[in-house]
Amino acid sequence: MSEFVYHGEVRNEPDSETCSDSEWTDYVFNRSGIPAVKKEWWCHTPSNIWFIAERDTAKDHVLRTYLYGEGS
Amino acid sequence: MPLRLIRYALSSKHHEPRMFTTHDRMKSSYDVVIIGAGGHGLAAAYYLARDHGITNVAVLERGYIGGGNTGRNTTIIRSNYLTPEGVKFYDASVNLWKDLSAEFDLNLFYSTRGHYTLAHTDSAVRTMRWRAEVNKHYGVDSELVGPDHVKKACPQIDLSCAGHAPILGALYHAPGAIARHDAVAWGYGKGADMRGVEIHQQTEVQGLDIQGGKIVGVNTSRGYISTGKVLSAVAGFTPRVTAMAGFRTPIFVHPLQAMVSEPIKPWLDPILVSGSLHIYISQTARGELVMGASLDPYELHSTRSTLDFTESLSAHMLEMFPFLSHVKVVRQWSGMADMTPDFAPIMGKTPVEGLYLDAGWGTWGFKATPISGKTMAHTVAKDEPHPLITGFSLQRFADFALTGEKGAASVGH
Amino acid sequence: MSRLAHIPGEWIDRTQEISFTFEGQQHKGFAGDSISAALWARGLRTLGRSFKYHRRRGVLSLANHDVNTLVQAGDRPNVRADIEEIAAGGSYTAVNTHGGVAKDRASLIGFFSRFLPVGFYYKVANSRWLFPFWEALIRNMSGLGVIHFDRPVVKTAKRYAFCDVLVIGGGPSGLAAALSAAEAGASVMLAEENPRLGGSGFYQLGNDPARRAVVKSLVDRVTSHANIEVRLGSYAAAYYADYWVPLVDGNKMIKVRARSVIVAAGAYEQPAVFRNNDLPGVMMGSAAQRLVYRYAVQPAKTMVVLTANDDGYRVALDMIAAGVNLAAIVDLRAQDTDANLLQSLRSQGVECLLSCCVYEAHAGQEGTLSGVTCCPLNADGEPILAQQRFLSCDGLAMSVGWAPALNLLYQAGTSMSFQDSTQQFIPERLPQGVFAAGRVNGLYALDKKIEDGQYAGRQAAAFLSLSAELGHAPAAERFSPSHPWPIISHPSGKNFIDFDEDLQLKDFETAVLEGFDNIELLKRFSTNGMGPSQGKHSNMNALRILARLMGKSPQQVGTTTARPFFHPVPMSILAGRGFSPDRRTPLHARHEALGAVWMAAGVWQRPEYYAKPGKTRTECIAAEVAAVRSGLGLIDVGTLGKLEVRGPDAGEFLERVYTMRYAKLNVGATRYAIMCDESGVVIDDGVVARLTPELFYFTTTTSGAATVYRELSRLNTIWKLNVGLVNVTGARSAVNIAGARCREVLSKLCDLDFSIEGFPYLAVREGLVAGIPARLMRVGFVGEWSYEIHVPAEYGARLWDAIMETEPSIVPFGVEAQRLLRLEKGHVIVGQDTDGLTNPFDIGADWAVKFDKPYFVGKRSLKMITEKPARQRLIGFKLQSGFTGAAPQECHLIIEAGEIIGRITSIGFSAAVGAHIGLAFVPPTHTEPGQILSIRRSDGSVVQAEVVTRPFYDPKDLRQKEESSEAAA
Repeated sequence: MSEFVYHGEVRNEPDSETCSDSEWTDYVFNRSGIPAVKKEWWCHTPSNIWFIAERDTAKDHVLRTYLYGEGS
Repeated sequence: MPLRLIRYALSSKHHEPRMFTTHDRMKSSYDVVIIGAGGHGLAAAYYLARDHGITNVAVLERGYIGGGNTGRNTTIIRSNYLTPEGVKFYDASVNLWKDLSAEFDLNLFYSTRGHYTLAHTDSAVRTMRWRAEVNKHYGVDSELVGPDHVKKACPQIDLSCAGHAPILGALYHAPGAIARHDAVAWGYGKGADMRGVEIHQQTEVQGLDIQGGKIVGVNTSRGYISTGKVLSAVAGFTPRVTAMAGFRTPIFVHPLQAMVSEPIKPWLDPILVSGSLHIYISQTARGELVMGASLDPYELHSTRSTLDFTESLSAHMLEMFPFLSHVKVVRQWSGMADMTPDFAPIMGKTPVEGLYLDAGWGTWGFKATPISGKTMAHTVAKDEPHPLITGFSLQRFADFALTGEKGAASVGH
Repeated sequence: MSRLAHIPGEWIDRTQEISFTFEGQQHKGFAGDSISAALWARGLRTLGRSFKYHRRRGVLSLANHDVNTLVQAGDRPNVRADIEEIAAGGSYTAVNTHGGVAKDRASLIGFFSRFLPVGFYYKVANSRWLFPFWEALIRNMSGLGVIHFDRPVVKTAKRYAFCDVLVIGGGPSGLAAALSAAEAGASVMLAEENPRLGGSGFYQLGNDPARRAVVKSLVDRVTSHANIEVRLGSYAAAYYADYWVPLVDGNKMIKVRARSVIVAAGAYEQPAVFRNNDLPGVMMGSAAQRLVYRYAVQPAKTMVVLTANDDGYRVALDMIAAGVNLAAIVDLRAQDTDANLLQSLRSQGVECLLSCCVYEAHAGQEGTLSGVTCCPLNADGEPILAQQRFLSCDGLAMSVGWAPALNLLYQAGTSMSFQDSTQQFIPERLPQGVFAAGRVNGLYALDKKIEDGQYAGRQAAAFLSLSAELGHAPAAERFSPSHPWPIISHPSGKNFIDFDEDLQLKDFETAVLEGFDNIELLKRFSTNGMGPSQGKHSNMNALRILARLMGKSPQQVGTTTARPFFHPVPMSILAGRGFSPDRRTPLHARHEALGAVWMAAGVWQRPEYYAKPGKTRTECIAAEVAAVRSGLGLIDVGTLGKLEVRGPDAGEFLERVYTMRYAKLNVGATRYAIMCDESGVVIDDGVVARLTPELFYFTTTTSGAATVYRELSRLNTIWKLNVGLVNVTGARSAVNIAGARCREVLSKLCDLDFSIEGFPYLAVREGLVAGIPARLMRVGFVGEWSYEIHVPAEYGARLWDAIMETEPSIVPFGVEAQRLLRLEKGHVIVGQDTDGLTNPFDIGADWAVKFDKPYFVGKRSLKMITEKPARQRLIGFKLQSGFTGAAPQECHLIIEAGEIIGRITSIGFSAAVGAHIGLAFVPPTHTEPGQILSIRRSDGSVVQAEVVTRPFYDPKDLRQKEESSEAAA
């Protein structure tokens, strides 16, 4: 585990020029805290490679991993 | 020796009254439904009944009394926080703690041992001084002390921490205490039960009935209950409750692990915390060393244990206490900590009328048990936040008015 | 003396006699003896004292399933005498006695035990005033072994191992499992906690050599199989996710990553519950067998066997073979007894009392077992007291049932169900790749255990796609090896359930009546299973009692969670060698030679200052400051994060991550940089230098380097700008040479044009310094003319030496001097003058926030923040020039009208200013120069300070740059 760093769920940043205040603060502060299969940012620190892991946050099962933008 | 024990000893028939009544059925309606029969939920029920005369209350618990974080923490009680909001709140909690044993007629083993937050870097020394100064301002007994003071309280410690992280000073908080964690929930449960509150164990909340932005009822594994007020006091399950209510919060859930050693003859009087070494440790009256570290670094809704945790915590323990090499770790466990971005709780009203949150307790919920119960009871009864918790509102994030308790979190996160 | 003649397969080496002491008395045993076995052989019976009542305790399980016999072995507390081999010269004492195990004064507590019901601790001394005395009393009595505080740390090795199949347990089923998996081609590791293989296969014999022969052949095949690695004396301490199992032996941990795990951990024999079931001499049937077959020790002269299964009859046969006088077999059952075994015993003249119980055990003069009272059972299973009978004996073997060792299977996430036919939980749904075999599956007959092991081995092989053939699991046992209710109540109690915790039957009844009627609550209230043996011998009976009291089935009651560890693990084994690395710059040795006093800066070690003989810390730092101000100073700034971003979009990239503008920064120029997070909080700062149109070199704070680099990499993963980002922090060494004459010195080492025009303020140049390719930046952090020189790390020391040699008067300065120098200039240190909520406006960096850019991280949040009232501002202050006494310190508070209004973030005495100067957060209403602030010191006294403008020193920056040199910026 120690060579991986977690950076939370992949969240889509709203257009910061056009979104409402509440959309923005929802993006900045709020999280989907419920257990689910989530797309998450993980970094392999020795290689500094960021990738996306789809992980079940209830069971800690990583279902698949891929580079950002290559998932679907 | 108290009379009741003599009575117990002399009569094979006598036993103490039940602490919690078993209710075979739930009523169809309650004035208040509290989700979660941990320390916080039961304390809120207790104070609702005792202070506000509201006794038509159901406390719903999917597992058993005190089975969540109440029974999983390392039982440290302190009020040496950083922000004025935090200090006042936790100080009020400590003041309630001190008399709970007598109040419940149940010995919680509330043991004032003195609490040292060790500083291994000059920046940690600055933070400790900051906390000490804020604490003193609000009448909380904390001071920045030097390594000699630590050595006096714990002569066995290696102040150099194996040369890796010399102790430069500490925040000494004399009122720092530990308690028998389960008993706290039992005491509040007993007190609430005596006053007519119903505790329903093995009863899971499966949905909230919200109409026109107002709470009108709760769906449970044992049927529907109508109610106008619901208090959620479910720690790591908070996001599931708020999801049922249809709104999001900043809360994210990470596991927090701990471990305990076999009993050894008591030698460690104070409670020690080291942010740099990621340790907190105290010794129970049974002689066990109770040890914790920082949060697991990723979201997880599970109470699984990891080997890494015991490895790194043991390594750091031995830097500070090299002589513990042969002491055996007997058990490890984990809880689900509901973290917030500013390390302060989220308490009070929510976007849903009649739904109240007692959440965001992260790693600091146990010590807040009495005061969170008291202030949430007030908040629920009066439908307005208790003055001590206005700084902890959910709204603060949207207002960019965070509470900034991060510097007081015992172990570096 | 009760040592038997040679027993086939005995673990002792009779050729090696070993001397040791127990409780100060000299004893002898053989190599291979456990402490308990050696003492039992010597005729000792009281080997320990119980935790609470200090009752005499002897051998119970002889298998680490109880802690009756914990000893202090030198500096090691709580050593399991039952399994610890005697060491030559070893010195052992029973733990937690007052005056020795033989005459423990604390045993007086036992007389008061009726006043000490379960939960007793919760019911006394509830006053906050009384509690401390009560607590002191308890702390005085509690705990087990002692710590020797003068002992150095013990470092242990760790190893990683990988295998296809990890088999846990080297008994008959584990052996069979290992063989069948290995024969299918799997690489197998077999872990056995005992020093030898065979498990129960070598002691549950019923005096039948054929049974031994079957297991012996399995052992021989396993040990000679090329695909099987056997780890003896190694217990699987836990099961963690993804087949990750630490094997712990006497001095190390092997972390095994298996592809499949078979748990064949066997079962713990469970005690019968009757009055005085803890007297020394009362032991598990399997313990009696272990004494005989492992250590050739006769458990007692005269024994009664209390049984409820066939195992007990085999115990009886084994005891007879060991020369024990068998007084009787007392069988709780009326039927189901194996007719052959019964016949075999009766033919040897052994009295077999069916449907009969042991009602209580009696202690003789020595306090050890002298006899038992037996009673026939009526149809309801109640003892018929009128027909009681006394049987004289010094040993009682209990074989009334088992609890499967399901711990690891629980940890793996197995769901269990209660099997009525065997009265135990068995795995119902196993996780993928995890298998169970033998007694954990409810199979007790030797042939069934072997068959089940083979089946599990094949299952594992099939899971790994090594074979397709599965075969069948053996049929379930017909008769239960465990009695559903091996519990006899007694009005006087002392019928123990949990021997670790001294918990009696009535304690459970009381707890349930008080409302603790859930298995977890019962555990927590009674402390059942919370002692060092973690419920191995107590959880099953506790569950039975709760089920009966609640009128539920064991299935409905369920079990408590079996958390790691299986057996307790020493911290030295968990810690291993420990690994707390710190980073050192290439100049470390130079600093060391100069007398550096080190301080931690993130993961780095940096010189705080350089100690000089006869000078105090303050004097040393002041001298370093003075040298920079009036002469020349040199500081190692190599710990700064150093990054490069290269590519057509490099300018755009920096515009997005920092609050200022960089796209149009001139080549050869540098600019200050502030980084915010999404919420607008300042998280880092540094300097950006443009080396070419497409190459920027920039710095971060020391502690921020790794996280900033990582986060910037992540951001560009999203943005996909055409840039490459490299972290050269470790690859580059950097120094800052500061002082009026620094240009002069550098001119001697470098042929760059150091003229004002050629190398203006805030410019960056590349060139050779002392022949070393270098990047030079003219920056002004410390407020003098200065150059930051960055070179490849391998040349760092050479550069340092070259500068020092060129200008011998140059003074190396440390972090503390630098802090004061920058304070005089009013510069902010991120992390010291900012905290987790500080935004750029708070620190007066409004000028650095460029809202006219389309985007940067934190922009929207900062914009929203500008629309809200300001909370605080960082200002400069100074104390009165003549101030004497203890100066306020960083983080002292600013008080007004009894309220906290602010806080000092930096303070120091500035010789240049002639006063203490500092930075502080204050409300926006308190920022006007001349306003007076009241700073409260730790002792409560107040010091006045005056708000002043920053910088404190050289406000027009005349010392660090030529006048009107804004061009470069």
